Amino acid sequence: MSTPLPGLGELRARLDAGEVSAQELTAQAFARLDAVEPALHAFLFTRREAALAEAVESDARRARGEPRSALDGIPLALKDNIVQAGEPATCASRILEGYVSPFDATAVARLRAAGAVIVGRTNLDEFAMGSSTENSCRGPTRNPWDPERSPGGSSGGSAAAVAAGVVPLALGSDTGGSIRQPAALCGVTGMKPTYGRVSRRGLVAFASSLDQIGPFARTAADCAALLDAISGHDPRDSTSLPEPPLATSRALTGDVAGLTLGWLREAESVPGVAPGVLAHVREAVAELERAGAKLREVSLPHVPHAIAAYYLIAMAEASSNLARYDGVRYGRRASGGGSLTELYERTRAEGFGAEVKRRVLLGTYVLSAGYYDAYYRKAQQVRTLLRRDFEAAFAGCDAIVLPTTPETAFRLGEKSGDPLAMYLSDVFTVSANLAGLPGVSLPCGLDAGLPVGLQILGRPLEDATVLRIADAYQRRTDHHLARPPL
Amino acid sequence: MSARLEFETVIGLEVHVQLATRTKLFSSADVSYGDAPNHHVTEVCLALPGALPVLNGRAVELAVRAALAVGCKVQPHSVFARKHYFYPDLPKAYQISQYEEPLATGGWLEIDAAEGPRRIGITRIHMEEDAGKSLHEPGDPETQVDLNRAGVPLVEIVSEPELRSAEEAGAYLRAWRLLLRWVGASDADMEKGQLRCDANVSLRPRGETRLGTRTEIKNLNSFRFVEAAIRAEVERQAKLLRAGGKVQQATLGFDPERGRLFVMRVKENADDYRYFPDPDLVPLILSEERIEAIRRTLPELPRAREQRLQQEHALPAEDARTLASSRALADWTEAAARAHGRAQSVANWVLRDVLAALRERDAEPEAIRLTPEGFAALLRLVDAGRLTARSARSLLPELLFSGGDPEALVRERGLEAVSDAGALERAVDEALAANPKAVEAFAAGDAKSLNFLMGRVMRRTGGKADPARVRELLSEKLGGRR
Amino acid sequence: MSRISRAEVERVAHLARLRLEAAEADAMTRQLEAILGYVAQLEPVDTAGVPATAHVMELATPLRDDVPGALLPAEQAVANAPAPRGTAFTVPRVLDDEAEG
Repeated sequence: MSTPLPGLGELRARLDAGEVSAQELTAQAFARLDAVEPALHAFLFTRREAALAEAVESDARRARGEPRSALDGIPLALKDNIVQAGEPATCASRILEGYVSPFDATAVARLRAAGAVIVGRTNLDEFAMGSSTENSCRGPTRNPWDPERSPGGSSGGSAAAVAAGVVPLALGSDTGGSIRQPAALCGVTGMKPTYGRVSRRGLVAFASSLDQIGPFARTAADCAALLDAISGHDPRDSTSLPEPPLATSRALTGDVAGLTLGWLREAESVPGVAPGVLAHVREAVAELERAGAKLREVSLPHVPHAIAAYYLIAMAEASSNLARYDGVRYGRRASGGGSLTELYERTRAEGFGAEVKRRVLLGTYVLSAGYYDAYYRKAQQVRTLLRRDFEAAFAGCDAIVLPTTPETAFRLGEKSGDPLAMYLSDVFTVSANLAGLPGVSLPCGLDAGLPVGLQILGRPLEDATVLRIADAYQRRTDHHLARPPL
Repeated sequence: MSARLEFETVIGLEVHVQLATRTKLFSSADVSYGDAPNHHVTEVCLALPGALPVLNGRAVELAVRAALAVGCKVQPHSVFARKHYFYPDLPKAYQISQYEEPLATGGWLEIDAAEGPRRIGITRIHMEEDAGKSLHEPGDPETQVDLNRAGVPLVEIVSEPELRSAEEAGAYLRAWRLLLRWVGASDADMEKGQLRCDANVSLRPRGETRLGTRTEIKNLNSFRFVEAAIRAEVERQAKLLRAGGKVQQATLGFDPERGRLFVMRVKENADDYRYFPDPDLVPLILSEERIEAIRRTLPELPRAREQRLQQEHALPAEDARTLASSRALADWTEAAARAHGRAQSVANWVLRDVLAALRERDAEPEAIRLTPEGFAALLRLVDAGRLTARSARSLLPELLFSGGDPEALVRERGLEAVSDAGALERAVDEALAANPKAVEAFAAGDAKSLNFLMGRVMRRTGGKADPARVRELLSEKLGGRR
Repeated sequence: MSRISRAEVERVAHLARLRLEAAEADAMTRQLEAILGYVAQLEPVDTAGVPATAHVMELATPLRDDVPGALLPAEQAVANAPAPRGTAFTVPRVLDDEAEG
């Protein structure tokens, strides 16, 4: 019987008090991993020896009174599309079988400089394309709350690892909801920062104008600590904000008095929203009102078009970003000889899964001559309209509240036969990526035993505000303390 | 040629130029030529998963210099776009280029056409990254790929289709080469691939304004081949059209050894590059202040320098042209002229002897180590009769390429001219006395003997006597014996 | 009304260098048809005069100094290559009609 690891705050307290060593923590993480992995399949790779060695070094630093940061000695996991030097990075795709990155993602370099101990790399939908982790070439991760169900995606592995208590913290990536949605379905807290807040260098690109790396944790406070450690300008990412690293941890006052929340009117009219989900989210918002926040209704009239706009843009950018996977310089190459063209065609056909192929094809199509204006350019124009909707809404509120997902965790296989149905489950999350806004999902109760997520979206650059509201909620409630029966 | 009478040749050139930066356009790998494969690459050059581009500020500056030098409008807002195609030397399977919003538009470059100077319009100049190299060895079933060159900064310069002959195309290229080197944007060495040219060629009946179908000739890597290829293509199209045929749009290559064109690709459909703004980069914003600041660093341009040399220093047009063929040469010559005082004299020495010395070594004016003041000092020694012109010429290569103080060198080598009248006369007398046969021969009417005797006198003075003076003295003394 | 034909799908597959088996191409055509049908909802949205979003955040152009940085050693550059030869990558010999445009 293994115990799940506690959250960051408690771990730090124990480390500082000398009650536990980083070595012991790492060993506990692996013990928990070994216990739950056969059922969960959250991890694609682990690095036991290296992690333990790093934990030893952390203990030595602590013994000298020189811990590097709040994360020194803390075990965490990386989504397998965030590269680490000397470690594999497959993005759960056959086409990157055997690939070992020679460089660190900037976020990873900052975590290692902070002394964090990376224990392994988690499962995802192939190249982050999906909402269920069923598109992984290594098979799906299972939801810790119900192994017949999906943990969500694309960062399903990271969400499950935190939910199951293997690690207190994990990094994921969010392009259309890939952190927030699995956080909601797995009952953990997950955040997508303002676009440009965290360097994308070393995040294997899916849709460059939408992708962001972000934290998973048991609490908003823990997410804040992780976000603070990885955020800040990176001169090697041209889309990186010219801002210093965040200090959101210091903004968690527990106080929401004076803030106005905007309830999204369109959330109620989206088809397929489960009544149980809506009820829990409404109750969570009421709790925030009781805590002193004001509430009003806001409208984002173009939200019904968000998925269409999102998929056109994301697929177009994805088709371009994935063109480099051709078996020439790295990754898997098709065998059997043939011409160069045949090599390209067979390598990519064999290496990519069906969902990736679908998106590459559609993305190529919408960028091609004759269709660019009608599809890609049109989508970017609708994106502008949606951004204007948000600007108007934020003139009257400080944060927008809505459900993270229309329903709780769906069964594995339930949506995988219908790509469009899968896309529609992103209805509440894609808008934040289109507008570059910070957004967090946090647990707000169980519906028929499955977690429900409350989503809070903030103005651009107001990552701290979003986390503050989430943290204030978590100080007054205990939904985030619930653990799956593993 | 008969083609010119019935048809008008219409040529547009696309010139790709490597900018003279130390590092690549979007990665900090250094630019290098001729090294072993993949010794100058970073994760960005290899398009590894997670790699991102960051724009080289110096490349922007050099591109702007080139654009301003031909009077282009530099756009305050230009956009990098991805141009997609699959090829082994293109690691991302797209090239970062500029499409709908290029760096600069408009402008013109003056060339010397047959009928006189003509302005050739520049449609646009944009920035883009170079591809790597594919190496095919004969008999090898595989192609090798080297990405050292992948990502090197280029500007693509597109001319209006206003060139009317192969010779004009050559003149246009040479003018660009001079200008690019002049403003320091590129070394523009065609042999090193730093300047490449694709030519679009079409014909139309004289008087017709619509453009004919054009073919594109690619991979031309010397000025001569560009002209030869265009000439060949013009002839080919003329023949075809005269026989009632139609020119098919195609991409051609030129085999310089056989002097023949060959078809690389018949273009049926336009390539679908699926251009869109690169989401990993933000637009290139250049303020008016920044553009002006760069403009202020531009030197006086070649044509203006040429004209000024003509006017200020009263140099003939052709001499001014030659001096203005290299900024280093023009600067050095002018500085020497200022130090010396008589521009024409300095110019003559430069045009005759300095250029000869450079040619001899196959060196560029940039290789000159002698200061302009030093050169002026050397010439003043000759002016003062303290050094013979011949001695000066003998010292020139060494001084030019190693530098030094002419006065000191002359003293060191004991080359001070023999101008002492007495010493000179003694030398002449001795030579005459030592060569009675030659003296007799001269007296008998053999004029060549004078040269022989001159040689003898020069030898006695170690070549340090002024030949004119020696001849004078000899003539005097010999004349007395007739 | 068909938005994308099987022939189009094959054309696009070639542009993207993806080989599709017959059954796959059929399935893709159906699925892409459905997706395009869904995104068609954007057509009637009034976007007259609305600029396309280039970037969500307004950023001044970040520029890099022209100073050489750390290189990947050549051996490391080809370490992940399926078929290196020395420090070069290799591919099947490029045929004329595969030459880039």
